Amino acid sequence: MTQLRSPSYDLADIVAVNDLYHRRGWTDGLPILPPTEELVQACLDATGLAPSAVIGVESVRQRPITAEKVAINAVMAGCLPAYMPVVVAVIKAICQPEFNLHGSTASTGGSAQFIVVNGPIRQRIGLNATHNVLANHSRANACIGRAIRLILINVLGCLPGQLDRSTLGHPGKFSFCIAEDEEDSPWTPLAQQRGISAGMSAVTVMAGESPHQTMNEWTRDPEEIVETFAAEIRHNMLTYSIWAGNYALIVPKQLRDLIATAGWQRRDIQEYVYRSARVVRRDWATVGKKQIVNLGKGADQRFSALRSPDDLLVIAAGGPAGGFGAIIPPWLGSRSQAVTQIIETL
Amino acid sequence: MTLRVLDPTFDGGQATQATVSRLPSLAGRTVGLLDNGKLNVDILLDHVETLLRSQHGVSTVVRLHKPDASRPVPEDVAKGFAACDAVISAVGD
Repeated sequence: MTQLRSPSYDLADIVAVNDLYHRRGWTDGLPILPPTEELVQACLDATGLAPSAVIGVESVRQRPITAEKVAINAVMAGCLPAYMPVVVAVIKAICQPEFNLHGSTASTGGSAQFIVVNGPIRQRIGLNATHNVLANHSRANACIGRAIRLILINVLGCLPGQLDRSTLGHPGKFSFCIAEDEEDSPWTPLAQQRGISAGMSAVTVMAGESPHQTMNEWTRDPEEIVETFAAEIRHNMLTYSIWAGNYALIVPKQLRDLIATAGWQRRDIQEYVYRSARVVRRDWATVGKKQIVNLGKGADQRFSALRSPDDLLVIAAGGPAGGFGAIIPPWLGSRSQAVTQIIETL
Repeated sequence: MTLRVLDPTFDGGQATQATVSRLPSLAGRTVGLLDNGKLNVDILLDHVETLLRSQHGVSTVVRLHKPDASRPVPEDVAKGFAACDAVISAVGD
């Protein structure tokens, strides 16, 4: 066993552990699993890293995130050792400069790290990609997303009202992790589309706002199906943020099947949304923002939701029945960009 | 049987940066004010500059602008504060 360096506390039982950790602001408000040396060591062993190994550094405050602290927080979140490669990959991803970790976690805009897992590790650890995919069900989805939140709280100091200045936040800040339904998808997996070799496991992470649910069960026309998503994006551009960046689309099986039957590929969805998700400045008058219509380049100024079709993350996930989909908007356009990172397993 | 549990928080000993000691007085000093580029930050910093000069005897104020509120200050902007005894990084919003 390698030497763990974190201070330790001897406490009577699990209730006493939770009392202390809640009192010190070390949780997300939910009960935690006590991070005993044995459990932490098991999680650390699953990474193959020394306790002091630096997995990533938050660049603004130059704060290193070590394997030991990642393992402690992962245990608290309920992670099994087998989840650790995913947790480590997410930390590596969000510490990339283009993710802008400090800005996206400190902002009043209140985003969460939306995590999409691809590759064989999904099935090995039981990640959910189907029924109720954006919510409760699988231990792996819930605990991996939660581990990232606890690391932000405890290692980076992202406490609400302190470094985390979110006005509202959203429920994804408890946990926001899904798998892609690769086995039942007509498309190449998201990670592969973003440059990862087939057969490798990877995470794609973006600073996401809360999902907006859509529904269209009245057409078989792929253009009409995708237009419902585009309309929700346009609405978000007007009511929330105009800036172009990564949007995620969650496309469930029922809609995927219709789109594929009509001969549309993932690229067709990206290109359609790129053309359709556009607004002009005067549209702001329709959502109570007429005060800013004549600023900038005037009422005819055009805005696009995507800088290019590649900005759109099209994700196959959700239960088999229902024409429900979701858009997940970016925190602040391209100020934070989605990052895809290989998951390294031992 | 007790449970021995580990501290999940950042260990200051791992810090890569250290804080400097506080200035004993601002009188006669040069103070930098970093504008984060957000709406109304100019109004806030105008007021801060007035207070620094009138109530704390600050002799020179260097005002510089950060192009992006959510990213670290660029190196070339930071160099503009080289002559300052202290810098205030403000969050206007």
